[in-house]
Order: sequence, then C-alpha cells, then structure tokens
Amino acid sequence: MSRRSGLLLLAWCVVLGAGFFAVQGRLTISADLRLFMPTPHTEAQRLLVGSIGESPASRLELLAIEGSEPHELARISKALVTALESAREFEWAVNGGQAGLAIEERLLPYRYLITDSFDRQPLDQAQLASALTERAQDMSSPLAGMLEEWLPRDPTLETLHLMSQWQPPKEPRRIEDVWFSADGRRALLVVETRAAAFDPDGQTQALDRLRSEFARARGASSAVLDVSGSGYFSSLIKNRTQREATLFGTAATVALVLLMWFAYRQIRFALLGALPLLSAGLAGLAAVGMMFESVHGITLAFGFTLIGVAQDYPMHLFSHLRVHQHPAETARGVWPPLRTGVASTCIAYLAFLESGVTGLAQLACLTVTGLAVAAVTTRYLLPQVIGSVTRDSAQSAWLDRLNLRIDRLPRPFALLAIIPVACAAALLMSQQPFWQNDLSRLTPVPVELLRKDAVLRQELATPDLRYLLVVTGRDEQDVLEHLESLDAALAGAVREGSIGSYDHPARYLPSVARQLRRQTALPDDAGLRNLLAAASEGQPFDVTLFAPFVADVVHARALPPLMSADLAGTPLALRVSSALFARDGRWHGIVSFYGVRDAAALEQSLHAIPGATFLDLKAASEELIAAQRAHILRCLELAALLLVAVIWLALRKVSRVVRVLMPMALTTLLIVAALRVSGVSLNLFHLISLVLAAGLGLDYALFFEHAADDADEQRRTLHALLVCSLSTLLVFALLAFSTVPVLQAIGVTVSLGVLGNFLLALLLARERRRS
Amino acid sequence: MCLLALSLSIPAHGLGIEDLEAKLVRKPPVVTPFVDFRFSHVLKAAARSSGTLEYREDEALVRTVTSPFREQAEVMGDEVRIRRGERPERRVSLQRIPQLRVLLGSFRAMLDGQVGRLSQDFNVVLAEQAHGWTLTLRPLDAKLAKYLAHIEVHGSADRPRCLEVVEPDGDATLTFLDTAPDERISTRPALEKLCRGATPENAGHER
Repeated sequence: MSRRSGLLLLAWCVVLGAGFFAVQGRLTISADLRLFMPTPHTEAQRLLVGSIGESPASRLELLAIEGSEPHELARISKALVTALESAREFEWAVNGGQAGLAIEERLLPYRYLITDSFDRQPLDQAQLASALTERAQDMSSPLAGMLEEWLPRDPTLETLHLMSQWQPPKEPRRIEDVWFSADGRRALLVVETRAAAFDPDGQTQALDRLRSEFARARGASSAVLDVSGSGYFSSLIKNRTQREATLFGTAATVALVLLMWFAYRQIRFALLGALPLLSAGLAGLAAVGMMFESVHGITLAFGFTLIGVAQDYPMHLFSHLRVHQHPAETARGVWPPLRTGVASTCIAYLAFLESGVTGLAQLACLTVTGLAVAAVTTRYLLPQVIGSVTRDSAQSAWLDRLNLRIDRLPRPFALLAIIPVACAAALLMSQQPFWQNDLSRLTPVPVELLRKDAVLRQELATPDLRYLLVVTGRDEQDVLEHLESLDAALAGAVREGSIGSYDHPARYLPSVARQLRRQTALPDDAGLRNLLAAASEGQPFDVTLFAPFVADVVHARALPPLMSADLAGTPLALRVSSALFARDGRWHGIVSFYGVRDAAALEQSLHAIPGATFLDLKAASEELIAAQRAHILRCLELAALLLVAVIWLALRKVSRVVRVLMPMALTTLLIVAALRVSGVSLNLFHLISLVLAAGLGLDYALFFEHAADDADEQRRTLHALLVCSLSTLLVFALLAFSTVPVLQAIGVTVSLGVLGNFLLALLLARERRRS
Repeated sequence: MCLLALSLSIPAHGLGIEDLEAKLVRKPPVVTPFVDFRFSHVLKAAARSSGTLEYREDEALVRTVTSPFREQAEVMGDEVRIRRGERPERRVSLQRIPQLRVLLGSFRAMLDGQVGRLSQDFNVVLAEQAHGWTLTLRPLDAKLAKYLAHIEVHGSADRPRCLEVVEPDGDATLTFLDTAPDERISTRPALEKLCRGATPENAGHER
C-alpha cells in the first residue's frame, strides 16, 4: 500500500470515528409507535392516534397470577397490591380488594353536589322519612354492622349510592375478595405505570420492579405472573428486537467476513468492504438527525437492514479487480450499472419520504442518504485505499466451469408468460384479504400476546375498545354540560338493550352549573334540622344522632363547586382525566360503553346529536391504514415510472430495458403470490421489503446485462453477484427466523426476492455468450 | 387465668368440644325460627325482628325476616344478597361486613360439626352450667378484635338456644333460636339473662 493510500485510509477512519461520536451524542431514539402510524386527517382519526400511547388507559397493565390453588393466588394478589402501592414505578394497583371508588374524606361533603338522588325530588321531609324507615330496618338486617358507622353522617346513604353507581357494571368473579378469572384459576389485577406506554426504558424498569415484588410475594409457591398491556409490549418489543438484532447482527457479521475471505482470500477486503457501509450508516444517521427531532428504534433497526445491501457495492468492485489495472480504473468500469442501480433504488425509497408516516419518512431519509454515500465512497474513495491487486476473480477454474454450465442452460423466456399467469391464478384463488388493515396487527407485537391481552381485558370487564362517543367543546365545562345532556339518550340505549351500560366523566364530576343547581336546592341548617325532627318522629333514632349529617349538608351548601383539580391524587382523578382532556385547543369528553350488543342501533340513537361523534375505532383505523396505503402505492407508482425513466436513460434501448426490468418484475409477482398462497396479508413492512428486493433485482440484472459477452467480464460479474446474493441471502434468511413479526416479514420477503431475482436475472438478463 | 381454669375444667365435667361438635352437627336442609334483638348506640331502643334461619342444601345460609318487615338475606360464598320488599336486590361482599363474616363462619362451623376448627381464629372456651353449656369465642386476631369482642353460644344438650354477639363498643345482637322471648321483655339486661339461660320467671323481675 502506498503512503498516499495509507494516509487516505487513516483519514477515512478518523472521519468515521469523529462522525460516530458526533452522531451518537445528538440522536434521540424514541419508541413511540405512533411514528409508524399514518398522519390522521379526520377528527376521529386524530383522536384515535392521539389516544394510543398518551392516555392513562394505555399505561394500564393487566396482570394474571396462576399456577397455584385459589387461596394461595388470592394471598399473593393481596401481597402484591400492598407492595406495589408503595412502589414509585406505579401510580396504583387494584385487585378488587378495595371497596371500589371511595370518596376521600376531604371530598365527602361534595357528595350532595355529585349525587343525582335529589334531582327529581329535593331533600325534603318525605325523602328523609323514607330514608330513616329504611335505615331502621337496616338495623335489623345483616347490613347493620356495615351501615351503623355511616348512619349519623349519611342517613340517605349517598356515599354508598355513588360508589355503587361508579362500580363497573360487570366485575370479575371474586374469590376471597380478590378478582379472579371466570374459571377461578387466575387471580387478576390492574396496575397503572408511571412511565408512558411508549417509554420502553421506564416500562422495563416498572416490569423489573413488578417481577421482583411478585417473586417476594410469591414466596415458595409455584405461582407464575403473566403481564399484558401496551407498556409491556413496548418493553418486550424493544428488548426482543435489541436482543435479536444483536444476535443476528453478530451472526451475519461473522458469516459475511467468512464469505468475503472465501471469495477474495484476503481479510483486507473484508475490512475495507466495511468502510462504505459504515460511511453509509453514519451519513444516514446524520441526515435523519438533522431532519427529524427523534429517530424511532424501528427506523434504526430497519434502516440498517436496508442499508446493509450497500455491502454489495464494494463486492462489485472487488470482484472486478484485475491484476494489472488500477482499482480506480476498475471502479470507473463498474460505475455505470452501479450508478443506475443505486439511483433507481433511491428513487423507490424516496416514495416513502412522501408517505405521510414519520417513521417511514425517516426510514427513506436514512436509506437514500446511506445508499448514495455508500455508492459514492465505493466509486471514489475505496479504490484509492485498496492497494495492489494480486488476484483476478476471472481466473478461477470452478467459476469458469460454472459459467459454462450456466451458458448451456435454456433461456426460459416462456417464464415471461407462465409466471404472471400462475401468479394471477394464485392471487385470485387465495381467500385471505390482500392487505392487512387491522391496526393491531400492524404493531410488531406477536399475535398470540394480543389474543391473550383480549382475553384478559374481557375477564377484567374493561370498557368496549371499539366504540366510543366523543364530545367536543370549547372548555371543560362546555364538555361536561354536553355529556350531562346526553344522559337521557344513553339511558335510552341501555333500556333498549343496545348497550349494557356506559360511563363518562360527568358522572364523577358534574358540571359547575349542575352542582350550583343542586347546591341551591339543599335545605339550610335550620331548615334541615326541622325536616329531620319531623322525619324522625316514630323512628328509633335520636335526632341529635344526625349532627354530622347536618354539618355535611351545611358545608356542601357553602362549598365552591368541585373542579377536576380538586380530584388530584384520588382514584376519581384517573376516571376523569382519562376521558376529559384538551387537545389542540379543544376539549374532548369520552363516553365509553360496556357490553355493546347492537352497535348500529347505538349509532342510530346517537348520531343526530350535534357536537358528539360516534367513533368506531376499528373502522377509523382501517380507513386510516387503507388511505395511507393508497397514498404510498400512488407514490410507488410514480417512483416506478421514474425508475423506468432512469433505466431508459442509462440503457437507451427497449430490449435492454426490458431485459433488466423483467427479473425484478417477475420476482415481485412471485413473492406476492408466494405470500398470498401461504396465507399472509400484506402490510407496510412487506411493501418496504418488496422495494428492497426489487432494488436488489435491478442491481443483479444491470450487472449481468452490463457484462455483455466478454468471457472474463462475465466470470467476474458472476463472481460478484454470487458473493452479493449469497451475503444478502445469508443476512435475510437469518432474519426470517426472528420472533419479532416485522423482522420475520422482512426476512422472508427479501430472502425470496434474492433467490428469485438472482435466478431470473441469471437466466433472463445475461446475454448468452456467442461461441 | 379464669378462662384457663374454665377450659381446663371441661374434661372433668365430662363435656368436651368433640362431644359438643357431635351434638351440634346438622345436615342441611335445616330451618329454625329466630328472634333477633339489636342493641346499637345509634338506636333509642332494641330493634326486634323475627323470622327463620335456613341452612339450605346448596350450603347457602338464608335469613328470612317476616316481622316487623319482610326481608330475605342469602349468603352464598363470599357474598350476601338482600331483598327487601319491592326494592332491587342489594349485593354486598362479606369482606365489607367483617362482623357478619365471622359470625356466619362460626355458625357454619357449628352446623358442620367442626367447632374445633374455630380455635384457629378464636380462643374457644366451653363451660358447663347446671342448665346447659356456653361456648365462648374470643378473636385471637387483633384486626378481628376491632369488630368483635366475643360470641357466646348458649345451649342445652344438643340444641343451641341463643347467640350473643358483642362488639367492642358495647353494641350487641341477641339471637334466640327456636324459642321466642315474651314480647313484653325488651330491656337489654333482661334479654341477656334470658339468652344465657335464666328461666323467664327468673328474668321476670326485670321486665
């Protein structure tokens, strides 16, 4: 190696090192899955996307303890709740053991402003008398012990009335006063983490704490803990992706180095070949860091996978090196097909820049920058540092034999007709929906976990996840009043049986207007004493017993109305804040439903109400995804046209253009048909992988076609493409074994693509040598 | 010390817990009329109610009040369901009424012939008197003791006659089984005496 190339190599490495530190410090990595969700357009879609990951509901984790007898499970459940209540990673933990939504002592007088008991008939003598008669009977009932302590302060039992109103309509089964699954085999709990759902580090911390507390609570028992929820998923995905990425990355690197050594018989090439790739990665990261605030973890993992194909570029150069030719000269030779291939691949990825999905735009930015930098460094920098060449890939006996054998293979131009027809038939026959529209299926969460989550949610009787009614207003009070006005229609829906019940924040926090109305209807001190005296005539209670009751009513008359801020720190705060919030300057209130039996009737009874939007989240999300995909497909169509134009510009001959495009087009068809036949509905990640595979196919075809009929060149090209396709196949075949569905989808799709593209390019794009 | 002496004295008198266990055991279904008196600090006078107690074949305990109003309370597992007149059924977890849970638990143990089991949660003392026996249960657990001072079951031969449940604040419930005290007796001392086995004549002067 000359002094000049040595210096250049050193400089390159220094720049890479410096770049690494610069980029590492600046990059914020996010795990917010919404980066991979489409940009919402309608109000419903905005609420849908907004509610994912941000709402308190998304911070809920559902827990199940199983594997022991019920008594033991109940004991562990209780011990776990006690332990988690004081853990700072958790807001709260419930297992049914609590008496329900208790009202805090300081808020107790507010019960007379919250309760609907005196809306129709005020707190008068008749009401009091009937309440006292009831209480007298209660004293002879099994409830006496429970009610006695409340009696002096709350003879009408408003506290109990509110608690029973606020109780979920259907609670899980209880064993030893702890929630259990219907079959009694799993103790159920709900916890809320302090960390947001898309904060995998915070979630991992919370999970670690949860597991250690569980281990302590479990003691020597054989019980096991099962966790489910968005936060758990995000932590799981992050850790799993990281683990597999490291594992596959290491395996792929080792395999690649071995392959490079086998192909070029010098470890130097393996190391030099990494330089354009590293440059690509750094440049891509820098570009994303400059254009976006934070990078999604998936963008990184995925982006590096896509950039990985840039490993091919130095291989093309290495395989074409000749003993008596300066590497720069060789680089100039391979540049035309390389340039065309890179340009067209970049065009395809540019389509994603316009997809309207932040994560995809980041991906496109990373990949396009990376590939361009890899190509440019391969063309201009790499040849300067290679040093002397001692070996020509064309001088290989087995390669020559292989080349001859390939030449003797028939050129199956019939495939041009057979493949499209066969694929069309396969596509038409498949029953599976072509596209995957289910938002939940687009997450990288394994389906089995989602199914388990659904079962747990059903057991814990959480509200319906699909249908919501959203009320929008200028401020909090506006929304609360609106919600109150809906009660008649909602109660009607319950009566008619289209829903089992409903819930909304105004049930816990009435509007100020309603509270003031109730306040003025309450009797004053003297008035209430008179009413009590009259009502307790003939009852077994001494009228002085009710002094605490009188004090509370008098207090309630003078209280400032209850506001959401007053609820801070109480269990009620969660109920209210998760369904009453401001976004983009507007206030929203959410009515949730339990036991939806007739969604159409429900929508019918609610659709005419102004300011209220009935939301079918499933439909909204499917619409959103379909719209997004339609948009991406349009972008891809445009990209395809541009790509053909680029190739046309490079080759200038219809026959050549067709020869180059055919393998890629047929392979794409084959992959789609293969996926369909095996029952896979296509999603976004398949689409990206198809583009990646198409880019590879284009490269292969361009090089085969470029080699024309020069024997040595053909051998060198064959050598290069064998090394390229083998290395790519190696990496993606490994990915196909991933347990992360996204990675697996990419792995399978691209592996199929490499095989198809290589074989078809070999057979269709390569010109037969004239003997 | 006194309790210890009493408990030690039992075998000498010939009546052991096992003997009593065997005598008290009942196979469901069993129906027994009862009269209840509730003495509470919130009440001006004792609240009297009467009806039947039933141990059903499905192991539910049912308390039906027929006077002075109609009510049915059914205890199944961990839950008590109360129906009174036309009003909607009320369901309450027994965890929220610890006094009742304990009472029912000991009741069930007696009917099942497992009085011995009660010694897990209670200091169990059986004392024999001239006119019968008294089984006294004092909670061992401090949490339980917050709700319950003691339970006394008074009976003779194989019949429990009256239950006395006393709470730490002095509130109490007397439940007469099979026999109804004279309606004119209404003061607590007189009813207590009656419950503990005095004949109505003896208690009479306190009417």
